[in-house]
Amino acid sequence: MAIRSTRERWILRIAAVPMALLALSCLYPVFFTLNNALKDNKGYILNRFGLVQDPSVQNFVDAWGRAHLGQYLLNSVTVTLGAVALLLLTSSLAGFALAMLRFPMRRVLFIVILASLMIPVQVVLVPFYRTMLALNLINTRIGLIVAYTAFFLPFCVYLMTAFYARLPRELVEAARMDGASLLQIWWNVMLPMGRPALLTLGILNTLYCWNDVLISLLVLQRERTVMVGIAALRGEYTTNVPLLCAGIALASAPIIAIYVFFQRQIVDGIAVGAVKG
Amino acid sequence: MAQIVLDQLNKRFGAVDVLRDVSLSIEKGAFTVFVGPSGCGKSTLLRCIAGLEEITSGTLTIGGRRMNDVDPAERGLAMVFQSYALYPHMTVADNMSFGLRMAHRPKAEIEEKVAKAAAILQLEPLLQRKPAALSGGQRQRVAIGRAIVRDPQVFLFDEPLSNLDAELRVQTRVEIAKLHQTLGNTIIYVTHDQTEAMTLADQIVVLRAGKVEQVGPPMDLYEDPDNLFVAGFIGSPRMNFLQGVVAEGGVQIGAITVPLPQLSTPLTPGQSLHLGIRPEDLDQTEGVTLPATVEVVEKLGSTAFVHCRLDSGEVLVAEQRGTAAKPGHRLDLRFAMARTRWFDPAGLRLR
Repeated sequence: MAIRSTRERWILRIAAVPMALLALSCLYPVFFTLNNALKDNKGYILNRFGLVQDPSVQNFVDAWGRAHLGQYLLNSVTVTLGAVALLLLTSSLAGFALAMLRFPMRRVLFIVILASLMIPVQVVLVPFYRTMLALNLINTRIGLIVAYTAFFLPFCVYLMTAFYARLPRELVEAARMDGASLLQIWWNVMLPMGRPALLTLGILNTLYCWNDVLISLLVLQRERTVMVGIAALRGEYTTNVPLLCAGIALASAPIIAIYVFFQRQIVDGIAVGAVKG
Repeated sequence: MAQIVLDQLNKRFGAVDVLRDVSLSIEKGAFTVFVGPSGCGKSTLLRCIAGLEEITSGTLTIGGRRMNDVDPAERGLAMVFQSYALYPHMTVADNMSFGLRMAHRPKAEIEEKVAKAAAILQLEPLLQRKPAALSGGQRQRVAIGRAIVRDPQVFLFDEPLSNLDAELRVQTRVEIAKLHQTLGNTIIYVTHDQTEAMTLADQIVVLRAGKVEQVGPPMDLYEDPDNLFVAGFIGSPRMNFLQGVVAEGGVQIGAITVPLPQLSTPLTPGQSLHLGIRPEDLDQTEGVTLPATVEVVEKLGSTAFVHCRLDSGEVLVAEQRGTAAKPGHRLDLRFAMARTRWFDPAGLRLR
């Protein structure tokens, strides 16, 4: 859209001020984290906000080794990958069935799934914990994978159903005429067609699983995921802030890498959710 | 022997009867067209044959075998959808070979069949493209190619030309006719366009509100319609209808008296009936005369359609080659009694 009048240009300049403030408020914590991660504890206490004088990577080494973040990171990666894969698989199958197949109680089922979207995680924590305990899933990565899948599945099913409902049913019928079984239709037609929605869900769920503390804290009590590990770096009376900062930087690096790599798809994906969902 | 036989076929969606007691037999190698206004059930009938809709009651036999509950892929049919339904993420070649790959055919056979179909449809240069990179007509050909590759006994076409522009529609229509001559398969074709039906079909099935109105070769339906609906539906522009009452020595239509038609059904004075006359039969130089006023003249180059109004208010369309008529002119429309068709008030033909 071309900007013509000077009046419009002035409006844009004025609008840029709050935008810049907003951007600054997002960027400053990133700067604060990286800046302090490179200081030692003394340097931090003497000068909290000043620029680092003698940068050192000792905090990163300590966080990786002594604070076990390296091991926690591996837990996080395993659990996140497992949960996201399971979520995409299940929601794509469910979305296909709910959007394309005709079976009794289909609408009721969909409404029940939608309704479970309205229940906050915190409300069901106690029964959830008791269930996990009864199933012997406490302190297992599988348990956490299953838990994440259970909590995030309703939204994923909803999105996949909405996405698939927009595709012409004739595609499925053509595949049926071509002799494909339901599973073959799902694998050969629906899964590749669902790519944009699956990418969006993959990215969103990676974020949710990676950043989660609450569910992880409940399920993995001996082993930890990286976010719980970082939360544990905060002491009750004293906190080694530079070490914490190094941990945060380590933990957020993979997410930032994913964002940079998939930036285009994330933006497109949000549009998928908005227009087609 | 008839290849496809429908016997008392019914289809119900909830409380709605979409198809009512449809009985039909389709010969091997015939080109059958289901035609009717939208909502008449023609697509549903095709989908019942294809196996995409369950049959509520009645039987469907293909090649002597009852097919009511047989899986769509096992019926020996291939279907071309209105929207083509090409798989957007696959190349043309993959689209065409999908059915064979699902059937786990050997690779060499798949390649051979795809190459053969591509040659028939002139798709060779497009085999590695995705559907999005094709024009409407090309997509149409790929959809047909996907059907050919499976070597079916019967082709089903569901309004295959409705997404094409007028010129391409005529061209593809001719291609489909040629294809039928080359391959010789049985074809069932659904359309709402009576021109397509007339030009393509060996046998036309006219449907209305889920019932078969008439079945027959195109010219039989055109010349000898069973009822008012078929008479009006087949032919473009449609047949003109005038309402009249039987009087002494003729049929009174407005202020005009038309001689009594020679019918085997006896007519009684006071009985009301409909006279049907086709536009091209209104250009005689002698015969019964209908004085009219010209309202609109549509010149098509080779011929012209004159829309007229009788003094009694009825509107007629007459085909008049090389007419000089202008709106407002008076015109005498003449027709021969032999070209008239008569219908009773319920719309049934009086012969």
